[in-house]
Amino acid sequence: MDLFTGGHSGCRGCGAAIAMRQAMQALGPRTIMVIPASCMATIGGSGLKTAWNIPFYHSLFACAPAVASGVRAALEIRGIEGVKVVSWAGDAGTADIGFQALSGAAERNEDIIHVCYDNETYMNTGGQAGGTTPLSAWTPDTPAGKPTKPKDMPALMAAHRPEYLATASIAYPRDFIEKLKRAAEVKGFCYLHVLAPCHRGWGIREEETVEMARLAVECGLWILYEERQGRQRLTVVPEKRLPVREYILRQQRFRECREEDIEALQAEVDQRWQRMAAGAGGEELG
Amino acid sequence: MRELLNGNEAAAEAARLARIEVLASYPITPAAPVMERLTGFIAQGTLKARFIRVESDHSALAAAAGAALAGGRTLVVTNSQGIAYMSEVLYHVSGLRLPVVMAVVNRALAAPHSRFPDHGDAVAQEACGWIQLFCENNQEVLDTVIQAYRLAEDDRVRLPVMVNYESYIQSHTREVVEVPEEEIIDGFLPLNRRAALDVDNPRAINVVTGPDLYMDYKYRQDAALRGAAKVLAEVSGEYGRLTGRNWGGPVEGYRLQEAGHVLVTMGSLVSTCREAVDQLRAAGEPAGLLKIRAFRPFPVEEVREYLKGVKTVTVLDKNIVYGSGGALAREVRAALYGEPEAPPVFSYIAGLGGRDVTSADVCKIFGLTQEKRRAGAKPPAFEWYGLE
Ligand code: SF4
Repeated sequence: MDLFTGGHSGCRGCGAAIAMRQAMQALGPRTIMVIPASCMATIGGSGLKTAWNIPFYHSLFACAPAVASGVRAALEIRGIEGVKVVSWAGDAGTADIGFQALSGAAERNEDIIHVCYDNETYMNTGGQAGGTTPLSAWTPDTPAGKPTKPKDMPALMAAHRPEYLATASIAYPRDFIEKLKRAAEVKGFCYLHVLAPCHRGWGIREEETVEMARLAVECGLWILYEERQGRQRLTVVPEKRLPVREYILRQQRFRECREEDIEALQAEVDQRWQRMAAGAGGEELG
Repeated sequence: MRELLNGNEAAAEAARLARIEVLASYPITPAAPVMERLTGFIAQGTLKARFIRVESDHSALAAAAGAALAGGRTLVVTNSQGIAYMSEVLYHVSGLRLPVVMAVVNRALAAPHSRFPDHGDAVAQEACGWIQLFCENNQEVLDTVIQAYRLAEDDRVRLPVMVNYESYIQSHTREVVEVPEEEIIDGFLPLNRRAALDVDNPRAINVVTGPDLYMDYKYRQDAALRGAAKVLAEVSGEYGRLTGRNWGGPVEGYRLQEAGHVLVTMGSLVSTCREAVDQLRAAGEPAGLLKIRAFRPFPVEEVREYLKGVKTVTVLDKNIVYGSGGALAREVRAALYGEPEAPPVFSYIAGLGGRDVTSADVCKIFGLTQEKRRAGAKPPAFEWYGLE
């Protein structure tokens, strides 16, 4: 049985919905899902209809990890075991308005999984810029291109020393599913950050959602890794890294991006990639 | 057992007797001792509960909502800035019909900064859909916290409850409090558990709701809140039979027999007014007191009934709704409007931010009303009493 079924009201080719359908394969039916304000919170149902076949609560924007903490506490005191409690938020509900509650839950090492599905814009309100929006990206409120760099959310969460942390991409479903399964086995706080493009915000065609998620990895902009006890491991290493230009020029949102911006980004990506590759060998993490 | 307890200790004892399962709170002055005492009980093993050490008041109520959605009996403790910060969550909890109980140690809202008592914090949330009960002393704090769970979990109600008592005047002042035996409370308070988030019975909660459904949800929510007044009277009656203490339903009268002139107030001013009424009666004045125990739901019918035939009503408000006046006076006037021979309502704002109001002050205010009545003056919209 599909746990997040077809018939939801997301756009065709929605990266968020793809991420959720992949995730539910890993998480299974004994999962309680808390999602704050976001596309994902609203496309799963309206009125008396729903696409959810698991318990789901659409929480307030700033507090999904706190709600999940409460759910876990009640289950524990009631002696109910074997249930995964997940707070699943967009980039705003994770990196911006939701960051305080997320940081608190991570520091308390709550036995929950937080998944950030990142489309790098506030799509549910029309695509405004937020904390993970890339430098020079066009949005309705950065018409000349976003003037500042995005937050490195996985690094921020790594600083909380979670039990398990991983990045993922909807173009690599097996990698994502394995990581979620690993998180589900871990007791304590886990953080996953999945790149889930939104064709409307990115200015691509709807059938290009997955392709763009793959390109982000192949050009080294989005690095797939996992981290336990401070040790990092790359989980996907592109055979040959493509130039970031190929990724940037495909997306309308980068129309204000100048040649020197692309060169600077390429230099940054090269540096980061070398650092990651040097530090994170390929061996399995225990 | 009789013990010397301050309001915070009384609230914590009540939560222990209610066998709360999840405590989610963020420290705030002067409410934090409630959670400190409860975490002590948890550490000693006298209370089997989970404490969620949240990073804010907003998350405190969010965590309590999560726990209640998963079927846990929960307590939150806060006041003033904390409850203002929680505001949007308050509306979620009532809209979801979750039986969360919250101790609110009423404290004035900034600015300017204050840690002293008034009801501004609770009154600012008057439309949030919670049952709002006010206590006059520490015994009532203990008894009301226990009753709050019965009320909140009653199938006819299913709504959250705030139990209000004032900072320092109550939170930090010790009184003799009778602490009931555990068996009595266990009998009075069986857990009526309803888990909305349940893997064996999956439901989608708080999905997008259009104009075809939203209003009907709200009608039911409001009807349940209004109906809670009757359930409170029932619950108090049963509690009274078990413990000998019945604090009444949503209102309670004091020396209202042949009282031509009635004081109306809530919270700690009630006990001050009791003394004042005794003094006024001793001086031959036909004074009485109507205590408002439930500010929400506001007991319109009861207020009409109790104030029938009365000549003047004097309302003391420990809050100010800027540009409008005292919240309680506004409610009393609205209840009486259109009643045959409705008495004039004189409204006084007093005791904000901890300014002391003694029984002598209450007698003085009572005198001010009488002067105006004798002069045939119409009651002003409201007046401030006790300005420097
Ligand atoms: S706007 Fe973007 S994220 Fe939202 S439903 Fe459509 S494709 Fe998905």
